[in-house]
Amino acid sequence: MTLATPTTDPPVLVADQLAKTFAAGSGNGALVAAVQGVSFSVAAGEMVAIMGASGSGKSTILHMLGGITRPTSGRVLLEGVDLAALDDDRLAVIRRRRIGFIFQRYNLLPELSLVENVALPLVLDGRPERECRERALEAIAAVGLGPRAEHRPDALSGGEQQRGAIARGLVTRPAVVLADEPTGALDSANARAVIRLLTRLVADRGLTVVLVTHDPLIAATANRAIRIVDGLIAGPDGESPLP
Amino acid sequence: MTELTLLLRQWQRRPGRALATVASIAVAIGAIVATWIASDASRVGYRALAESIEGMPSVDVVARAGGRSDPSLAPKLVGIPGVRAAVPLVFRPSLLRAGDARVRDSAVGLDAAGLVEAGLLRLTAGRGCEGPDEIVLSQRLADSLDRSVGEEVLFFAKRGVRRLTIAGVAEPQSLVSFADGAGIALDLAALTDLAGTGGLVDRIRLVLHDDASRASVVAAANARLPGNLVAQVPPGRASMADEMLAGANLGLDFVTALTVAMAWFIVGNAMLMNVTERRRSFALQRVVGASGRQIARSVMAEAGMLGLVGALLGIVGGLVAADPIARNIATFLRSSAIAITVNPWLILAALVLGPLVAIAAAWWPARQAARVDLLEGLANVPPPASGVPHALMLVAGGLWCLAFGILAAAGAGWLPARAAVPAGIATLLAFIATTPATLGLLARLLAGLIPRRLGIERGIALEQVLRQPVRTALTTGVLVAAIGNGVGLGHVIRDSVDDILGWYSRALNADWILMQAGSLAVQGDASPSAGQGIMDGVQRIEGVEAAVPLSIVMGSLDGHACLLVARDLPTSGRLPLNAVGMSNETLRRVLEDGGVAIGTALARQAQRGVGDEITLAAFGRTLRLPIGAVVRDYMAGGSSVFLTRTTARRLLGIDSVDAVLITATPGAAAAIEQPLAAIAREHSLLLQSHREMRAMMDRITTGLVGALWSILGLGFVVGSLGVANTVAMNVLEKRRTIGLLRAVGMTGRQVSRLVLIESLLIGGIGSLIGVGAGIVTALFIQLSSQALLGHPLAMSIRPTVIAANVAAAMLITAVAAWLPAHRAVGLDLLDAIAAE
Ligand SMILES: Nc1ncnc2c1ncn2[C@@H]1O[C@H](COP(=O)(O)OP(=O)(O)OP(=O)(O)O)[C@@H](O)[C@H]1O
Ligand SMILES: [Mg+2]
Repeated sequence: MTLATPTTDPPVLVADQLAKTFAAGSGNGALVAAVQGVSFSVAAGEMVAIMGASGSGKSTILHMLGGITRPTSGRVLLEGVDLAALDDDRLAVIRRRRIGFIFQRYNLLPELSLVENVALPLVLDGRPERECRERALEAIAAVGLGPRAEHRPDALSGGEQQRGAIARGLVTRPAVVLADEPTGALDSANARAVIRLLTRLVADRGLTVVLVTHDPLIAATANRAIRIVDGLIAGPDGESPLP
Repeated sequence: MTELTLLLRQWQRRPGRALATVASIAVAIGAIVATWIASDASRVGYRALAESIEGMPSVDVVARAGGRSDPSLAPKLVGIPGVRAAVPLVFRPSLLRAGDARVRDSAVGLDAAGLVEAGLLRLTAGRGCEGPDEIVLSQRLADSLDRSVGEEVLFFAKRGVRRLTIAGVAEPQSLVSFADGAGIALDLAALTDLAGTGGLVDRIRLVLHDDASRASVVAAANARLPGNLVAQVPPGRASMADEMLAGANLGLDFVTALTVAMAWFIVGNAMLMNVTERRRSFALQRVVGASGRQIARSVMAEAGMLGLVGALLGIVGGLVAADPIARNIATFLRSSAIAITVNPWLILAALVLGPLVAIAAAWWPARQAARVDLLEGLANVPPPASGVPHALMLVAGGLWCLAFGILAAAGAGWLPARAAVPAGIATLLAFIATTPATLGLLARLLAGLIPRRLGIERGIALEQVLRQPVRTALTTGVLVAAIGNGVGLGHVIRDSVDDILGWYSRALNADWILMQAGSLAVQGDASPSAGQGIMDGVQRIEGVEAAVPLSIVMGSLDGHACLLVARDLPTSGRLPLNAVGMSNETLRRVLEDGGVAIGTALARQAQRGVGDEITLAAFGRTLRLPIGAVVRDYMAGGSSVFLTRTTARRLLGIDSVDAVLITATPGAAAAIEQPLAAIAREHSLLLQSHREMRAMMDRITTGLVGALWSILGLGFVVGSLGVANTVAMNVLEKRRTIGLLRAVGMTGRQVSRLVLIESLLIGGIGSLIGVGAGIVTALFIQLSSQALLGHPLAMSIRPTVIAANVAAAMLITAVAAWLPAHRAVGLDLLDAIAAE
C-alpha cells in the first residue's frame, strides 16, 4: 500500500497495518484486540497528535512505535529500518540513539540528579563522560531548567520533571520523540508551558513529535491529529486526512 | 557519570536495600566461616576427648602366637607414613610398697626419657626414668602412696625386690597411652631384665599422627613385618569414643555442608528481591536505550561488589562468633584449651566465595532483569503471577534421583559412609526444589487454620505467597534448611545417645563396679582363687542383691584382636546384650547352650555372620567354633566376644574375675560402699559407683552432643537471620502494594496482621517441608552410620525434637516479621504509592 504524506521527503516514521492483541489476564484464552490494523506515517519536523477515548489503544500504538513492545502483526519503519527485524540488543541501541520517550509521569530515575538522568542515554551509549555532561546541560538549558541541573527529581515540580523528560528526549538528537500524555498529570498552566516548549523545539530544531493527548487544545497545536476508536483510525480529523 | 555511579546512586537512595543484601551475604559468609572454625574446634576437641579416654591413636605390633617380639624392629616401622613413633613396651604385674602402703598394679617398661623428650609422655613433676634404679609413677599412684619425686619405693618382681627412686610423676591421661591403665613405668631395659624376657618385648606400639588412618597403617605395617608378627588396632582402644567420633564427624560434615547450602538460599533470595524491586528502574533504563546485556552486567557487577563487602563483614562476624562457639564446645568437651585455629586459606576462600556466591546467586535475577517486559516494568506493578517453571521440576526430579542413587550406592557398599553428606544435601535441595509444586496445597491447608474473621488479610497474604512460587520456595528454603538440619541431626543425636545409653544400662546395669586396676594384657596371671575370694567377700555384704562376675581377656578372632567377655546371664529379666535380628529368648538359648556372640564391629571386620565358623584364640588356646549371635555392643568398640562363664571355663579355661557388677537391694546402694571399698583395698581393685560410670558416659555423650547442638544452634541463628532479612525485604518490596491498601482504607493493624500472616504462612510451609526433609535426612544419616557402627540405629520419630524445631522456626518467623510489620504500618502513604 502506498502512504500519502504531506511532504515530499521520505517519512521518518511509518506505521504499517499495526495490530496488537493481548492475552487477557488469567490466561483463560480470552484475547483483547487493543490495536487492529493502524497505518500512518510521520514526516520529519512534524508534530502529530493521537487522540481517542480511554482504552482505545493510543498508548499501545505509541509503545509499538517506540520499540517498547512488538506488534502482533504489521511493521514499524523508523528511518526506513523495520524495528521488528531487530533483535533486543539492536532495538535498545535504536531506542537510545533515535527515539526519545516521555511518559505521563515518573520518567526520571529518582536516585539520579537531573543532569545524570538526562545524560543516561549517552552514558549507555558509551560516550565520553565530558561529552555526556555537556550535552545534557545543553539540553537542560534548552528546556529552561539550567539552574536545577544538579537537583534530584523529587525536588522538582511535576512540570519541571516533564521538562526534564523532554530534555532527555532531546539529548541524543533523536529521529522522533514519542510522548504519552506528557501533560496528563499537570495543571493547565504547566501543561501549556510544556506544550509551548515542545512546539518551540519542533519549530526551532526540526524535532519530530508524536504525542498522545486527550486535550483538543493541545491536539490543535499539532500539525495534524489522528483519532483512534477501538483500535482503529476513525477517519479524517483535523487538517490532514489519512487513507 | 558511568554505570557504576548509577549503582552507587541507587545504593545511596535506598541504603536499606543494599544493606539488606550486604547483610545477607555477610550472614552467609559469616556462617560458613564460623561453622568451619567451630567444626575444626570440635574435631580437635573430639580428638582430645578420645585421647583422654583411650590414649593417643595407635596400632600395636604383636607376635601372632601370643609370644614376645624383638624390639630392634621398631626403628624400621617409624618410616611408615602416619607413624609418629614406634615404642617397644613390656608389661609386668607388680607390687609396690612405700612405708605401710602396698599397691598391686601393672608396670610398663618403656623408654621414658625418650618419650618425654618427644612430647609423647607428659610429666607433672621430675623427669623420665633412666637406668635400673629409677621409676615413674602415675599421679594417682603417687598420691595414694603419698610419695613424690626423689623419694624411694620398694618394687616387688618375680626376680626379687628392688629399691627404686621416683624420677618423675606422670599425668595419668598421658601414661594411659602406653600403659593401658598401668600406673608404674620403668626403663624398658630394667623391666625386661627384671621380668627375664631375654630382651624381648610384649608389643611395639606405633603412635600415629592425628590425621593418620589406623587401617592404612595396619596394612602398611603388615606388609613390612615378618610372618610371625602382626599389626592390629589395640582392642579396647579403638573404642566407643572412636565410633562416636566417626558419627559426630559425619554430623559436622553435614552441618557444614548445610550451612553452605543455606548461605546460597539466603544470598539468592536477597539478590532476587534486590533485583525484582527495581523492575521499574530497569524498565525505564531499557526504554532510554539500555540493552538487556547492559542491565545484566550491571546487576552482576553490583552483586560482586556487595559480595565483597558482605564477605569482609562476614569474615569478621564469623571470626567473632566462632570464639564463643568454640569455647562453648570446649566446655562441653571439658577440654580446657581448644585454641581456634584460623586457616588463612579459609579467609581467602571466604573472600573469594563472597563475590562468587553473590554473582552466581545474581545470575538468574540478572537474566530476569534483562528480560523484564518493558510494559510490565513501566506499569510498576508487582511481578506478575508466575507458574512453576518446567526446568525447576526437572531439577527437582534430578535431585531426587541423585539423592536416592547415592544412598543406594552407599547401601550397596560402593560409596563410603561419608556419601551420606551429599545424599542428605541433595535430598534437602530436592525438597526445596519441589516446594513450588506443593506450595498451593500447603498454603491453603495452613490458611485454613487462620480465623475466618481475618478473611481479608488471609486472602491477600495467601495471594502474595502463591503469586511467585519460586520466590516463596527460596524464602522457605532458608527455613527448610534450618529445620531439616535441626530435625535430621536432632534425631540422629538422640538416637545415637539412646543407643549408647541403652547399651550401657543393659550391659553395666549395676550400682557399683569393682574393677581390676591393672592392664588387661596381663590379666592371664590373675588367679581364680583370688576371684573366688572377691566374690565371697562381696556376697557376704549385707544389702548386696546381686554380684555378677565378669572375665575380660584379650584374644583374637580369625586374627582380629578382640576382647573376650565372659559373664553369666541373669535368670530372669532383661538380658545384658541385644542381638541383631534375633529375639532375646533365642539369644539366651544360644549362649546357655555354649555358643558365643560377637560384637557388630568385629563381625563386620572379620566379615562373619551367625553360623560361620571362626577361629578364636585366647589364653594360649585356639578353638574353631560357629558364631551363635551378633550383638550390639560398644565395649571395645564392638570388637568383643561374649560367652557365659561356664562356656569360657570349659572351652578356654578362663575363670578370672576382672570386674564385678554389684546391685544393691533397694535403698542400700550407699550403705554398701564402705564394705565394698574395704574389699577393693584388700584386692587392689578400683571401686566405681554407677554414678561415676554414668558421669563418664555422660561426659562423652554430652560432650559430643553438646558440640553438635552448638553448631546446630549456629545454623538456626543463621537461618533466623536469613528469614528476618527475607521477610524485611519482602515488606520493603511490597511498599507500593501496602501503600495502596492503606490508601483504600486498610488500617495499620490490618496491614501489620497481613504481614504477620504472610510471614507465618511462609514459616508454616517451611516447617512442614523442613520436617519432612529432616526425617528423610535423619533416615539417610542413620542408614549410612549403619556402615560406621556396624548395626542399624533404632529409627524412631521423636515428636519432641520435631516440635522444638517447628516452635523455634515459627517463633523466629514471627519475630522476624514484627519489625517489618511495624515499619509497614509507619510507611508514608504518598511515598509508598509513588515508590519509583
Ligand atoms: N498488557 C496488557 N494486557 C492486556 N490488555 C492490555 C494490556 N495493555 C493494554 N491492554 C488493553 O488494551 C486496550 C488499549 O490499551 P491502551 O493502554 O493502549 O489504551 P489507551 O488508549 O492508552 O487508554 P488511556 O487513555 O486510558 O491511557 C485496553 O482495552 C487495555 O485494557
Ligand atoms: Mg494510555
